[in-house]
Amino acid sequence: MALEDLKEIVKKSITVGFLFESNKERLKWTSLNGDIGFSKEITNRNIHRPGLALAGYVELFSFDRVQIFGNTEIQYLQHLSFEDRIKAFETIFRFNVPCLVVTNNNPLDKELIGIATNHGISLLQSPFETTKLTYFLGDFLDDQFAPQSVVHGSFIDVYGVGILLVGRSGIGKSEIALDLVERGHRLVADDVVMVTRKGEGILIGAGTDVVKHFMEIRGLGFIDIRSIFGIRAIRFQKRVEVVVELLDWQPDGEFTRTGLDHGHISVLGVEIPHIKLPIFPGKNITVIAEVIALDYLLRHYGYDAAKEFASRLDATIASKSRGKRVIDYFEHDFE
Amino acid sequence: MIEREVTIKNRAGLHTRPAATLVKLAAQFKSDFFINKDGFEINGKSIIGVMTLAAEQGAEMILRFSGEDENDAMAAVVELFERGFDEQ
Repeated sequence: MALEDLKEIVKKSITVGFLFESNKERLKWTSLNGDIGFSKEITNRNIHRPGLALAGYVELFSFDRVQIFGNTEIQYLQHLSFEDRIKAFETIFRFNVPCLVVTNNNPLDKELIGIATNHGISLLQSPFETTKLTYFLGDFLDDQFAPQSVVHGSFIDVYGVGILLVGRSGIGKSEIALDLVERGHRLVADDVVMVTRKGEGILIGAGTDVVKHFMEIRGLGFIDIRSIFGIRAIRFQKRVEVVVELLDWQPDGEFTRTGLDHGHISVLGVEIPHIKLPIFPGKNITVIAEVIALDYLLRHYGYDAAKEFASRLDATIASKSRGKRVIDYFEHDFE
Repeated sequence: MIEREVTIKNRAGLHTRPAATLVKLAAQFKSDFFINKDGFEINGKSIIGVMTLAAEQGAEMILRFSGEDENDAMAAVVELFERGFDEQ
């Protein structure tokens, strides 16, 4: 499947139980009413502080989001009489909210916990302050609901640059990946690369839990990169920074000669530099892959070799000097 | 481009041996071959890809072929699925 028209897979929902278990260590939270409401589904990646709903204004109440009670909501509740507190709480739980998180380990009356339990809604309590919890939780939900897809290719970290090698089956992607690992670079995934769009403009690639760092080499079978080369030869995930497409050499193929016209390829809506590389016997793709990574770094640090060369030519043409040697006069064979 | 939905028939599912048989068969054809399961699509000519599916008995998947010999490729591959990879 062509890289441009990958089918996006987006999770429709996660359960409250999954949210709770996945973030137990990070958010140090506990459940105030056991596993009540753990099977409820969260379908919205956003979070909401229901201040206005507590005060009784429920028009436009984003009830389908994870609800957060920070200090403001708790103090508002506490300034109310007991009856009004119950009423305010009931107002919120009349809606089908997925779950409610109380920050700063703020306590809740047991009557209020009872209301949540009666409505089958999970109440979670975290020691984190609201800003921190919102940040972590938002990041987790963004990741869970991020568009994903599978790419058939090899994904390697070369000098810290994430290079995704793609090309037809049998063109030699795995062999190049193996060669790069041998030269000290790190394999992220071979053959099956899960790509996830994280935030706008960032594409993260990772392997799958079944395959991890296994690889198939034609005529050899499966090999385990981690066992053979050790921990330095692998990593779990990496930002995809360059797509290198390996193509069979064709005399009439269109390949760039200057590097001024490198295109981009859109993967899950993220624009990524795209290099088309013709391969033929005797061409060392591994070294070229290393050079691609280093050239990418140079550009990242503000030096574009193709532009530099072109502007040097422009300057020479403008000054009307012609074809001079780099050094005017060599007295002897030393500099 | 043609496609067909198939179901895994044998008890052990699409484990290593049938996965190898499948990719070897697919490699005999020029057509591109993709397998889509639960929305994720892998290259049917890649054994690592096929094994990633971890397809159990009863699992449904869509086979997609495109290329000059797509009809022959689909007939051969679908037949392999129908035979349950020659397993129980």
